[in-house]
Amino acid sequence: MLQAETVRSAKSDRSVWDFVIARHMFRRSISSGLLWGTVFGVFVASSAFSYASVYGTQADKNKLAAAFGANVSTSALFGPGLKINTVTGYTAFHIWLTIAIIGGVWGISTSTKLLRGGEDSGAWELLLAGRTTRRNATAESLLGFTGAVFAAWLVTAAITVGSGRAPQFHVSAGSALFFALTLVSTALMFMAVGALTSQIGASRRQAATYAGWILGASYAIRMVADSGTGLHWLIWVSPLGWVEEFKPLTYPDFLPLVPVLCFTVAVGGISVVLAARRDLGGAILGDRSHAMAHFALLESTFRLAIRTLRPVLVTWGSAVTLTGLLLGYVAYTAGQTLSNSSLNGIYAKLGASGAGVKVFLGVSFIVLAVMVAFAALGQVAAIRLEEAEGRLEQLLSQPVTRTRWLAGRLGIAVADLFALGILGGTAAWVGVAFESNAVSFASLFAAGLNVVAPALCIFGAAILTYGVLPRATAVVGYGLFAWSLLVEFIGGIGAMNKWLFDTSLFHHMAVSPTVPPNVTSDLSMMAIGLIAATIGCVAFSRRDIQGR
Amino acid sequence: MGDPAILTAGLSKSYGPVRALSDLSLEIQPGEVFGFLGPNGAGKTTTIRLLLGLIRPTAGRAAIFGLDCHRQVVAVHARVSYLPGDAGLWPSLTGEETLHLLGKVHGRVDLVYRDQLVKRFNLDVSQKVRTYSKGNRQKVVLVASLMSRPDLMILDEPTNGLDPIMEHEFRGCIQEAKERGQTVFLSSHILSEVEALCDRMGILREGHLIEIGTLSQMRHLSALTIEVTFEDEPPDLSGLSGVSLSRVEGHKLIFHLSGSVKELLELLGRYNVTGIISREPSLEELFLSLYGESEPVGEDEGVAS
Repeated sequence: MLQAETVRSAKSDRSVWDFVIARHMFRRSISSGLLWGTVFGVFVASSAFSYASVYGTQADKNKLAAAFGANVSTSALFGPGLKINTVTGYTAFHIWLTIAIIGGVWGISTSTKLLRGGEDSGAWELLLAGRTTRRNATAESLLGFTGAVFAAWLVTAAITVGSGRAPQFHVSAGSALFFALTLVSTALMFMAVGALTSQIGASRRQAATYAGWILGASYAIRMVADSGTGLHWLIWVSPLGWVEEFKPLTYPDFLPLVPVLCFTVAVGGISVVLAARRDLGGAILGDRSHAMAHFALLESTFRLAIRTLRPVLVTWGSAVTLTGLLLGYVAYTAGQTLSNSSLNGIYAKLGASGAGVKVFLGVSFIVLAVMVAFAALGQVAAIRLEEAEGRLEQLLSQPVTRTRWLAGRLGIAVADLFALGILGGTAAWVGVAFESNAVSFASLFAAGLNVVAPALCIFGAAILTYGVLPRATAVVGYGLFAWSLLVEFIGGIGAMNKWLFDTSLFHHMAVSPTVPPNVTSDLSMMAIGLIAATIGCVAFSRRDIQGR
Repeated sequence: MGDPAILTAGLSKSYGPVRALSDLSLEIQPGEVFGFLGPNGAGKTTTIRLLLGLIRPTAGRAAIFGLDCHRQVVAVHARVSYLPGDAGLWPSLTGEETLHLLGKVHGRVDLVYRDQLVKRFNLDVSQKVRTYSKGNRQKVVLVASLMSRPDLMILDEPTNGLDPIMEHEFRGCIQEAKERGQTVFLSSHILSEVEALCDRMGILREGHLIEIGTLSQMRHLSALTIEVTFEDEPPDLSGLSGVSLSRVEGHKLIFHLSGSVKELLELLGRYNVTGIISREPSLEELFLSLYGESEPVGEDEGVAS
């Protein structure tokens, strides 16, 4: 009897697989999974129906295919266009990369927030005080995240199957399910990557930065593989390349499922092993617990902001510079194929005219505009985080006015946005200069500044929200950004009401350097942004400081 | 006479329908150590955030050394230091960098005293804040709030996370601050700390200031605690006016008595009493008796019969 009790007691001391943590992580990530699943599904349906309504005749569709089908530049930027004279082929070509990148960012954000962020906040200490081990808890977390990705797949698949029944789209249920699977596969892979970097980095910010670099490298490798430089084999080195190789809705191939699943299982498995081998709160690339004091940027709240934002500023500066260089580098080759193609007609709808390198750069600078806007929102999120985590209270109980503190942060953010625009434009010019002198430095410099205008407008709206309703800052800021991107994305193929199209801030940005920047439009957006930020600043000085 | 260190008049704060602080009127003189007591959610931190101008009052006003807490916030903060209950610090900075930053932003630091404090609190300032334990983080903000030798220190749960040795060190620092003439506004749950350090104290309940005064003034308002040991079974004293919260421990009867002791002594004369101890209530007992008005803490103790 005594022996039986001892055995039972020993069993109860061991960690148990009761999936409590898996269920907890699933609950924490399911809402974003359902949200993104819906967004992906809406992207699929809206892209298909927009294409069907704009390109009504087969002749129109063939003209589009002739232009995009063999175009190296679009292939490098967005992936190869296969069967794009069909609704299904165009839909797959049009949306896969955008959704893959959004899925990757979601995956990274979710896993680093719940794993490394949970350690930073102390939540994991509570979890691990229960009957589990670090290894089991990490494995269960990955299981929970997989459940959220599965939920996203279900929603995307349901919308795709539903819209696929429409005669103008016409996709079988099996094809729709496979398409939806390819769309969420990046989320799955990068959730595992986020779990791995959560073991490597010493904070959530570090973990997300490392994972972001892996996603960026994956895009860059895929871009080189598709740039017609004879390095197509590189496609098998990049997770985004594997997703591209699925070729859903056109030449579906299940083979890339092997690297996708192997990568996810291997990276997830390594994360679990590393989690078991390190201390809670520790990191593989250990953050030094002690350091020499450096006082240079600790003399005022303004300098403190520069010091704390420095890693983010450097990361965005590097990412924008690299993207500008890549865009410039492929622009010459891409421009060659444009002169005699019907792509000019498509680009004309986006505001570009003429041909060659400038047209290509004009359209592809939207990538830089999106990056700069994203960086702007990151600055606002950092401002809000200072308040939510109680650090602002520490500063504002010193002889510092709120206006002075916020004005300093706004000054850094605005200077950073202009610097990013200039870096992007200059890097693109350097990239182009490797091959030709088709575009002047002045026009690319101006094109770089041009992308700052919508970013500044979104930034101003986010700061206004921060001043009035601080807890809604992220929702409004990222909502405006996502809306502008979605409208620009769908409106770009012409199937949108003019007034609705005008609600996208990116739509008001001239397609530079194809055409000169629209100074009136740019200055208007900048003025609106600065006025909104000023009102936000005044509102902030009069409201309560609010925690989480 | 100069301006009071803290003066509030009808200070109130509501969050929507929730009234966090109601009509707080308070006057604290320079050089005073004032304890601010109350359970969680009573309005202590709301009061502190109003005094620092971090939140805006729904009604009333607050002034520190005659300066309006909202209109003259920079001038107020130049004379004040604040120790938050749950300090947010910059994880990538070391303790030394954090102290340097806060000193520079405040603009007034006694560097010699700062170094003394670092030694007294046994703080490793070369460590990054990210890697500090809760107690060490508390030490950083404690040193930061003391090092500027401000005219007024506003401390919200200052010994939260400190070990008993550091708690003792903290008490020493507050005594020294008091001797230098600094004013201290100490919000705390640790009643022994308030009892040991504070000249006066105020007790908050549900946003209302229900009691204010010195400990001895408060004791007069409350009952004496009396322990009487009898040779035989203790008698029933429930009929005696002013007797409450009684309990029996063997031949010993313990009860609270408010009002005159004359009637009690006359009654006890009729019994074989072997011992009697009378003592004033501790702050903890005062606190519990005040809260017992709405939450009957003594009900289960019963009255001796």
